Amino acid sequence: MRQQRKVALPRFGEYNCALKYIVEQGFEARCILPPPLSRRSEDLGARNSPDLVCTPFKTTLGSMIEALESGADTIIMVPGGCRLNYFGELQEQILRDLGYTFDFINLSMYNTGKKTDILKALKVMNPRCSMVKAGKALYDAAQMVEHLDDITSLYYQNCGFDPTGTYPKIYRKFLSDMYAAHSLSDIQEGFRSANHAFADVKLHKPHNPIRIGLIGDYFTVMDPFSNLELEQKLADMGVEVHRLMNVSNDMLRSGEKNKQASIFRFSEYSMGASSTTDIWQAQYFAERGFDGLIQVKSAFCMPETDIMPVLANLSETYKIPVLYLTYDSQTSDVGLMTRLEAFYDMVDMRKKVER
Amino acid sequence: MSGIPVIGIPRAMLYYRYGLLWERFFETLGVSTILSSPGNREILDTGAARAPDEGCLAVKMFMGHVESLIGRCERIFIPRYSNYGTTALFCTRYEALYDGARNIFRTSGQRFITCNIDAQNGSPEPKAFERFGVELGFSPKESHRAWKEASRALEQQKKAEEQAQKEMIRNPGIKVLVAGHSYVLSDPYLGKPILDYLISSEAICLRTDALEEETSRRACAQFSPTCRWIVSEEVVGAVLLWKDRVDGIVLVSAFPCGPDSMTNELLIRRIRGVPVLTLNLDTQSGMAGVETRLESFLDIIRFQRGEMV
Repeated sequence: MRQQRKVALPRFGEYNCALKYIVEQGFEARCILPPPLSRRSEDLGARNSPDLVCTPFKTTLGSMIEALESGADTIIMVPGGCRLNYFGELQEQILRDLGYTFDFINLSMYNTGKKTDILKALKVMNPRCSMVKAGKALYDAAQMVEHLDDITSLYYQNCGFDPTGTYPKIYRKFLSDMYAAHSLSDIQEGFRSANHAFADVKLHKPHNPIRIGLIGDYFTVMDPFSNLELEQKLADMGVEVHRLMNVSNDMLRSGEKNKQASIFRFSEYSMGASSTTDIWQAQYFAERGFDGLIQVKSAFCMPETDIMPVLANLSETYKIPVLYLTYDSQTSDVGLMTRLEAFYDMVDMRKKVER
Repeated sequence: MSGIPVIGIPRAMLYYRYGLLWERFFETLGVSTILSSPGNREILDTGAARAPDEGCLAVKMFMGHVESLIGRCERIFIPRYSNYGTTALFCTRYEALYDGARNIFRTSGQRFITCNIDAQNGSPEPKAFERFGVELGFSPKESHRAWKEASRALEQQKKAEEQAQKEMIRNPGIKVLVAGHSYVLSDPYLGKPILDYLISSEAICLRTDALEEETSRRACAQFSPTCRWIVSEEVVGAVLLWKDRVDGIVLVSAFPCGPDSMTNELLIRRIRGVPVLTLNLDTQSGMAGVETRLESFLDIIRFQRGEMV
């Protein structure tokens, strides 16, 4: 009998808890969690990648190497709407050239337009796995992702106004609950207790706080390591940080075609990958009178670069300041802090004038 | 009638691939057109000032062409090429050109018109041109006929190019395969100097874009199954088909081309036995750096062939 697979996916924000759940509960394989992203992962990735590829490619490659070092024998890579679709093939080639031995399940190979093809990929992972069980695990994991996104967005909206410092503790407890979950009731229990704990904290929130909306490319805006913990930095300045860009909003509750219709005046057709969602979200924030927008993108990201003129137009139309942040494999956050402080001061002054 | 041409066509990006199709389409329908002048330094500079800084060189060039057409025609034609199906995609930049230009030149008062080719969302090429013709004020039947005639002309041109290339390869001498997107290779400011230099050094220049699409795409599908960008597939496929018959390969790409950054890396990693030179073109002026690299590349080839002992 073949040994149980030791499956790994590269680190992506905190979503690995849901991926771990699918692999362990659905496919009865072992999930190897690569170490949290670090300077080392990025260095490993950048050293072995082509120069002009976008930063998420480098980061995920580094994470794959660390996963292999941690004992994984199977790596899974996801498909996507931009260059992401091609990540897997090139990353596999690079890892093989480096001399690693492993199985690679590249989901974009199965993303051919025929829906049944994706089932073949599941069979590769564990030929004897039950489809019912896998389906159940996918459903549970979807719930976990939704809960995770809800708690995360609640956390960054409020943690800047928590004088007691219990918010981070609750959030960390919630995350460890999610990583340890074995069933749907574990997930729901963790969600409930985090929600209750958040509700018990007495916040010192002004009547009309500064609210900043974040948009950006799929990886960089959702992964705290890649954006140098931008959300936490903003929250620590006393900002209500809103980010609609997350897996639940973009994949589980998408509605992309209808979003395109409501941003008609800015963009008639989809400009590729995350662009429609981004422009729609920017308009959503602007219409609700947010004080500022930050576009978070990795260097050389194609769709995000292309929507910059649209955001400039939107900023002019709604009179909302936009800060464009481009992240390359940089590791120091001094430059980022300077720009954020300047942006914060400007937004703050505008708000005082308005009042 | 206002006396200016109805449609303006920027001579950049996919013009070098589908230009004949568009021109013939308008011609058959009797729509007057104006074509922007061939790419040069000035156009690139104006485009670079308008386009996002991090955009690719080709987009900067494109926006320069658009700017040069403003006020000289009723509408500027920027087609949106998205895909020919799930496995035949275009780079997201082509999808974004139309809306990008609309937003960049929003204060100019210029009107734009597009033709949306997006087979995944119910708008394959014949249908897209039919709708486009209707938007221009012609009947669906007329538009369809015009598209059919135009696409036949494009096919013939492609066949002739391939034939010419096949004859070239029989000639003796150093043969260099120049791989890249048509809008880079054919642009008089970007890629043409490279080809000219190679020809002046008595090398025979073969181009990846002069092969028939289907043949090269089939070759690529086996080599790199998840490569879905049509244009990159052709480049990769053509390199695979011709690599054994040439003495060297030059990969030319515009900085920072998204698809090229990955397919070129894959080619370098998987192809053995042929010298490969990678050239990244940027907004800098001057050919000296490129010429030095081409010169030493040709020297390497001559050494390999035993001509420089």
